[in-house]
Amino acid sequence: MVTGLKETLQSNKKKILSLWIDRTLNSYIASGFFKSSGDRFANPVGVNIREGLTRLFDLLLDKADPKEMLAPLDQVIRIRAVQEFSPSQAVAPILELKWVIRQVLGSGRNKRPSAEELDNFDCDVDRLALLAFDLYSECRELLYKNRVHEIKSGRYILTDSACASALAGNKKTGCAGVETS
Amino acid sequence: MAVVKVDKLARSVVEGPSLMTGSIPTRDWMDIPVVFKPGNYAYPTKPNILEYLDSQAGVSFPNAREWNPEDDDWKLPENWKEIIINGLAERLGKFRSLKIFMDCCVRCGACADKCHFFLGTGDPKNMPVLRAELLRSVYRQEFTKAGKILGRMAGAREMTVGVLKEWFMYAYQCTECRRCSVFCPYGIDTAEITMMLRELLHLVGCGINWALEPVANSNRTGNHMGLTPQAFKGNIDFLCEDIENLTGIHIEPSFNRKGAEVLFITPSADVFAEPGLFTCMGYLLLFEAIGLDYTWSTYASEGGNFGLFTSNEMMKKLNGKMYAEAKRLGVKWILGGECGHMWRVVHQYMDTMNGPADFLEVPKSPITGTVFENARSTKMVHISEFTADLIYHNKIKLDKSRNSHVKATFHDSCNPARAMGLLEEPRYILDHVVDNWVEMPENTIREQTFCCGSGTALNTDEIMELRMRSGLPRANAVRYVADKHAVNMLACVCAIDRATLTTLMQYWNPDVEVCGVSELVGNALVIEGEKRADLTEGLRTMVF
Repeated sequence: MVTGLKETLQSNKKKILSLWIDRTLNSYIASGFFKSSGDRFANPVGVNIREGLTRLFDLLLDKADPKEMLAPLDQVIRIRAVQEFSPSQAVAPILELKWVIRQVLGSGRNKRPSAEELDNFDCDVDRLALLAFDLYSECRELLYKNRVHEIKSGRYILTDSACASALAGNKKTGCAGVETS
Repeated sequence: MAVVKVDKLARSVVEGPSLMTGSIPTRDWMDIPVVFKPGNYAYPTKPNILEYLDSQAGVSFPNAREWNPEDDDWKLPENWKEIIINGLAERLGKFRSLKIFMDCCVRCGACADKCHFFLGTGDPKNMPVLRAELLRSVYRQEFTKAGKILGRMAGAREMTVGVLKEWFMYAYQCTECRRCSVFCPYGIDTAEITMMLRELLHLVGCGINWALEPVANSNRTGNHMGLTPQAFKGNIDFLCEDIENLTGIHIEPSFNRKGAEVLFITPSADVFAEPGLFTCMGYLLLFEAIGLDYTWSTYASEGGNFGLFTSNEMMKKLNGKMYAEAKRLGVKWILGGECGHMWRVVHQYMDTMNGPADFLEVPKSPITGTVFENARSTKMVHISEFTADLIYHNKIKLDKSRNSHVKATFHDSCNPARAMGLLEEPRYILDHVVDNWVEMPENTIREQTFCCGSGTALNTDEIMELRMRSGLPRANAVRYVADKHAVNMLACVCAIDRATLTTLMQYWNPDVEVCGVSELVGNALVIEGEKRADLTEGLRTMVF
C-alpha cells in the first residue's frame, strides 16, 4: 500500500534522526562522548550537530525555503569545515540521509512511500547537499582570509622589517624572519 | 583500586562505520600512528634561531637543523633515544611534581572530556589523560619494575621514533590552559606534563618556530617582535598622538627613567597590534588621569614569556629580565598589564626561580594607599587589581554612557583565572565602566573558562584550522550570549586572547569584537581638561 511520504517520515522521525545523528557522530574517533553528553556548552560538537540535523529534517519535511535551512546547516558544516575531514567527508552526512531513510523504511512494517515522492525528497536532499558544499567553501575561504588578515595585521611586517640588526645581516643576532646565511 | 584501562577510555563504539563520512575503525591507541599534514602542525624552528639561542648563556637548544614533520626522517641525532631517556631521568630527579604526576593517575577519566582540543577534534589522544599517557608509557617502560617486566600489559612501551612524533603532535595540541587540572581529583597539572614533553623534544632539536622566534627576540631586544628601543618608544608616542586627537589629553610617557616609583610592563602586542593598541591607550589614559609616577622600559618591553612554553631555564631567564630592569631603574614595584601567561610565571614560578624580589618594596598604591599583600613576595600587581582598587576608592571618574556602543561579555583568560585567581577584579571594573554586560554560561567561565585555543605559542596562522576547532568550545559559549543578549564585545585580560579571539570570532561569531578591559576603562574615563570628540566607538573611533 502506498502512503504519503511526509506522514511516513514523520512517524519514523525518531528512528531516522537517531540513525542519522549516530552515523554522523561516528565519523569522530571518540564518538561516545559526543553522542552521550547533552550539555551544549560541554559538548559543542555533539549538541550542535544533533540540533542542526534535527532542524534540517523538520525543514525538509516542511519543504521549507532553502534560506531557512542555512542556519541549521551552518551549525553542522562550519564545525566540520575545520576538522580533519576531506571536503566530501565534511558534507557527506547530508547525502547520507537518503540511505538512512531507506534503511529505516525498509525495516519493520512500514508502509512503502511512492517512488515518485521518494525521488522528489531525494532531490530536496541533493539540493541541501549542494547548499552544504557552498557553505563549506565559504568557511574555507574565510579561514584563508583570516590567515591573510593575521599576517597583514602587524606582526609579520614588524618582525621582518623593523629590525636594524637584521638589516645589518648579523647571523649571530638570530633576528626574526631574515635568512642571513 | 580499580584502574580503568586507558584504551577502554579512548575506544568508542563504532558500529556500521560509514565509508562516506570517514569513520575510523578503532584500534588500540598505541597502534595508531600520527600523520602530519599541512594544517595540523606548526612549522619547526628555523635553524638560525635555534643556533642563536644555543649560543646564549644559561640555556641549551642543541641539534639545530632543517627538518620537516611530514618527512619520515626527522634527521634526529644518532643517540636521540639516549638523550630523551637521560633527559627524562634528569627531570624526574629534578621535579618532584613530575614524578608524582607519572605515578598517581588512576585514569578516572574526570579530565577526559574537559579539554578544548578533545572537544573540538574528538581525537582521544587529546584527552588529557591520554596525552599524559604518551609520556607515562615511556616512563613505565624505563623507570618502573612493572613496566620493565610486563611491558604493554602494564601500559608501558618502547621509546621509538613513532612515539617521539606522537609527542610532537600532541605536545603542540595542548595550550597548557589547565582546565583539565581543575577537574583532576589528584590535582595533576597536565600543563606541566606538556611542558616536560616540549623540553624533552627540544633536547633533540624539535620545536616550533612560533615559540622560539619570539623567545629569541625577547632574549635579544626585550620583546617578542624584536622591536628596537626606538621602535618601541615610537609606537607608544604614536599612540599618545592618537589619544590627543581623540580626547585632547596630552601625554608624555617616560622611558627607562631611573627613580620612577613604578615600572609598567605589558605584552608588546599591546604596543603594536590591534586590538591591543586600544588597551594600551586605556593604560596611558588611566595613568595620566591619576598622575602615576611610572616609567616604561624599552628593555623589559615584553610581559609575555614564551619561555614558559619552551623550557624552565628559558622561562627563568626571560622572567629575570623584568626584575633585573626593575633593579636597574630603582623602582619600588612593578605594575603589570593585561597579559595571560606572564601572570602564571609570576605567580607560580617566579618566587622559586628568581625570587623573592627583596630589593623591591611591597606594592602600595600611591593613590589609595592600599598595600597589595598578595604581591608581597613577587612585588608585581595586576592592572585589574590596581584599577579595581582605584574605582573602589572613588579615585577616578567614569562615565558608563561612553561605552553605550558596547554590550559586553567577559572571557576569563586561562592563566589569570586559573593560575592567579583573578576572577572578581575584572568583573568589578566592568560593573563600573559599561552599562550592561552579561556572563557566559557557568561551565565556561571563571575556573572553568575555555581557552582561546591558540595559547602556548599556537597562535600561528599555519594551524588556523586546528585553532578554530580547539577554540570552538569558547566560541560556542560566546555565540550563545551573542544570540540571546546581542553581545557585541568580548572583553578579556590577555594579549594572546585579544589577538586570537579576534580571529576566532571572525570565523564563528563575526558580529563580536574583542577588547581588553582597560580599553573599556579608557573609553569611560572622564579626565579634567579633556576636549573629547564625539567618540561613538570609544578609542576605536576614527577621527580626522
